[in-house]
Amino acid sequence: MKIVTANRLSDGRVIYADASGDPVGALDQAGRFDGDAADLALSQAALRPATFVNPYLVEVDGGRPSGRDRFKELIRSQGPTVGNSLERP
Amino acid sequence: MYRYDEFDTAVVRERIEEFRDQVSRRVSGGLTEDEFKPLRLMNGVYLQLHAYMLRVAVPYGTMNSGQMRRLARIARVYDKGYGHFTTRTNIQYNWPALSDVPAILSELAEVEMHAIQTSGNCIRNVTTDVFAGCADDEIEDPRPWCEILRQWSTIHPEFSFLPRKFKIAVIAAPKDRAAMRTHDVGLQLIRGEDGETAFRVFVGGGQGRIPHIAQEIAPAVPGRDLLAYLTAILRAWNLLGRRDNIHKARIKILVASLGIDAFREEVERHFATLRREDLRVPDEEVARIRAYFAPPPFADLPRTSGAFDRASLADPDFARFARNNVRRHRQPGYATLIISLKPQGGVPGDITADQMDLVADLAERFSFDEVRAAYEQNLVLPHVRLDDTPEIWRRLAEAGLATPNADLVTDIIACPGLDYCSLANARSIPVAQALSEQLADLDYQERLGPIRVNMSGCINACGHHHVGHIGVLGVDRKGEEYYQITVGGSADEQAALGEIVGRSLAADEVAPAVGRALDRYLEVRREGETFLQTVRRLGADPFRDAIYGAFNAVA
Amino acid sequence: MQWLDTAPEGARLPVTTPLEEVEAAARDAGVLVLEFDAFRDGRGFSLAAVLRERGYRGRLIAEGRLIPDQARHLRRSGFDGVVLGPGADIEAWRRMDAAFSATYQPVEEDAAPIWRRRTLARATPEAVVKRLNRETRGGNAEDILCAALDPSLGLRPAILSSFGAEAGVLLSLAARVDPSIPVIFLDTGMHFLQTLAYRKALSERLGLTDVRLVTPDPSERADLDPDEDLWRADPDACCDLRKVRPLERALAGIDAVITGRKRHQTLDRHDLRPFELFQGRIRVNPLHDWSEEQVEAWFDAEDLPRHPLIDQGYRSIGCWPCTTVVKAGEDGRLGRWSGAAKTECGIHLGRRTMSVG
Repeated sequence: MKIVTANRLSDGRVIYADASGDPVGALDQAGRFDGDAADLALSQAALRPATFVNPYLVEVDGGRPSGRDRFKELIRSQGPTVGNSLERP
Repeated sequence: MYRYDEFDTAVVRERIEEFRDQVSRRVSGGLTEDEFKPLRLMNGVYLQLHAYMLRVAVPYGTMNSGQMRRLARIARVYDKGYGHFTTRTNIQYNWPALSDVPAILSELAEVEMHAIQTSGNCIRNVTTDVFAGCADDEIEDPRPWCEILRQWSTIHPEFSFLPRKFKIAVIAAPKDRAAMRTHDVGLQLIRGEDGETAFRVFVGGGQGRIPHIAQEIAPAVPGRDLLAYLTAILRAWNLLGRRDNIHKARIKILVASLGIDAFREEVERHFATLRREDLRVPDEEVARIRAYFAPPPFADLPRTSGAFDRASLADPDFARFARNNVRRHRQPGYATLIISLKPQGGVPGDITADQMDLVADLAERFSFDEVRAAYEQNLVLPHVRLDDTPEIWRRLAEAGLATPNADLVTDIIACPGLDYCSLANARSIPVAQALSEQLADLDYQERLGPIRVNMSGCINACGHHHVGHIGVLGVDRKGEEYYQITVGGSADEQAALGEIVGRSLAADEVAPAVGRALDRYLEVRREGETFLQTVRRLGADPFRDAIYGAFNAVA
Repeated sequence: MQWLDTAPEGARLPVTTPLEEVEAAARDAGVLVLEFDAFRDGRGFSLAAVLRERGYRGRLIAEGRLIPDQARHLRRSGFDGVVLGPGADIEAWRRMDAAFSATYQPVEEDAAPIWRRRTLARATPEAVVKRLNRETRGGNAEDILCAALDPSLGLRPAILSSFGAEAGVLLSLAARVDPSIPVIFLDTGMHFLQTLAYRKALSERLGLTDVRLVTPDPSERADLDPDEDLWRADPDACCDLRKVRPLERALAGIDAVITGRKRHQTLDRHDLRPFELFQGRIRVNPLHDWSEEQVEAWFDAEDLPRHPLIDQGYRSIGCWPCTTVVKAGEDGRLGRWSGAAKTECGIHLGRRTMSVG
């Protein structure tokens, strides 16, 4: 399964496309797509450049990023693992 | 320090309006993301993993208290209450909204700051010796020349769409405290035969995937020809540099592939046909800019200070701080004080808004209103009275800013790594924190003496791992974080690249492995020998054995 | 910069062409078109700069994948024009081309780089005066005023005003350009009450925000003019005490003094120029060639309040002891120091350099 992710143009925050292609902030709200449906979802996000900046597909397995960049995608979905941003939401 | 006149003010203001126009065209669809990206980068705006990042220029690392307070305010109002100082002596904010950036830039302009050319394929912020104007081996203060370079390189019509980024460092002493030879162009200020300012010019340094130490291209370019000579270098590279492969686009690759002699001929061909008169900064303009960097009104003080001596005797903590973080100043009775941004277990280079305000207060009260950013990701109060150092130390300590580890093994340079950066392969911060915790014993750190540990989360080498005495490079191995160790790198006047000691290590193996290498150093060093000197004498083998011996023994 | 729909006929080369080949092609081309395959490929800017520096004088046109934000890079590197593709946003090209009023680099166009402009601004006052007189030749009062207030000159100017009969002209002109400009009024202590009221009314009407009242030094006054009758015995000494000396103090830090003097007023003023050098300071005389009729017309057109004494027949108004009414048709300036050969108080002459006789 794949999900569509990008950064939001206005504030740069991580967003995902939900099942209907609208932007959502949490990975567990992301729409999961198979095969051609994933490519379609990606091209739909690419048609909204004022919201989705550089959209791309991420493989997920059981709701968690899998594939080569799984760790990076996990950090993207959860925020920095350390540092001064943690105390302040 | 330099103050803007009406021209500088106009350029910065007009740049903000230009960027506002660009943002609005991006939002309305007039610019695609591909078109917008280089434009936002040239205004310091990156898109990172979680948000935009704004990198604000601190030209040649010099700030006043008003500017530092404004940086604090920006951290509070537009970000999450902190900022991060970088090895280019800039400060970056990790969470600003794009829609806020024009407002942030306006706030910066009010205090004569900007984010121009802190990223992108253009000429970046010029760096210099953090002890400029303080060090007694300095020929003249390099910062007027840095300011001349800043102005000349700002919004350059010919050099804003270069093959890749271009970094310049200037030093003005035989000792290199600015990693000059790791730069695309390194300038060493010297006295020419006519007694006037001249520059020894080095070219083709750089870190990244294929690191090079810069080579000398000209032994003495007169100051009046400096901009023409740099124009010739940039022109040669802009026309001949590779654009087909991002990793081979830096000038270091061109210099290495042509050879320094052929590249020099190319540059001199351009230099010969340049209209040099047009690029000659008038003497009175040089004098005008120099006047801004005249020494502050120092008092006539005795060389020693009773207050300093008494505090050193009375308080071993102050004595340790004084040993490690207080440096000699050429003016009797004064010192240069390093504020370490490497607290035990902290994030290297990070500073909170409250801490920035405190540093601003101290600079205003004790250091002629001046504070510097060092490429080692620390801050420096350049001109403090020895008499005042105990008081400054007390106030720093209350704010968690008195870590007495300048240039010691826990004074770690580290990039933000995979916690923030979209280019990174692995995290840097947690590994730096683990090492900092493991080596927390300050007596042990002092016994080790000066050791620079540099960490990068990817091969782009923002954490300068190639030139760390010990370098740590994060790599991706099938989706897992691994770290490669180098030893023997150095960024000083004997600049050298570190040697990879062996296979990469898992994250939790890094700190113990570095610890074993350090223990080995204590065993094998000669009297008075630094870690780097020992590595240079013995090579990497003893350290390789120490790092991997444990594994080999198990195997 | 020319915005073109199509490229003119001429030699065409991609910016990826080696410099030597571009130079060879340019040697006998009246028009050279450089094609950009990608806007990030900045080779074209260096090619243009090199061609221009080595003497290419033909047309240089850019075409291809360029963005409006590169307009000024093209122009400043030496291009004359750019071919805009269909659907290009020409307004954005124009805006971006004009985004900056100054540049640090020497460029192909005429505008001087910032450091040259700074040097000019700090050139000797003689050179500045000469240049400004040349540059404002044929210009009107507002041109002269604007030239003096151009920030690139870096002058610190002030207006010297008596708030007399004709003062409204210069002050209203200045208020248009910059109402915060310092206006110096020599408050001699001998002014008509009407003048003081007029100063207040006119300043408010014009929105002047920095009117500075400059008074004589009290101890000097007590010393030289204890009975306030020095004007009877020695009007020059009185002017010196109440005008010349206070003005000198007030001008500390000011390097250009703007006055309302006019050629027709006195013989000494007959060859007045827009800019002159006076005791090391620049004097600016925007109204140097104005006639009385022009002044009248200006007051009418701008509907400016008049000095209250005009109705009583005063035409040139200074301190009350030394100002008299003139007859209709007489030169207005005759009402000053009437009966003496004195025509100037001294602030425009230098300290006591002119004798009364």
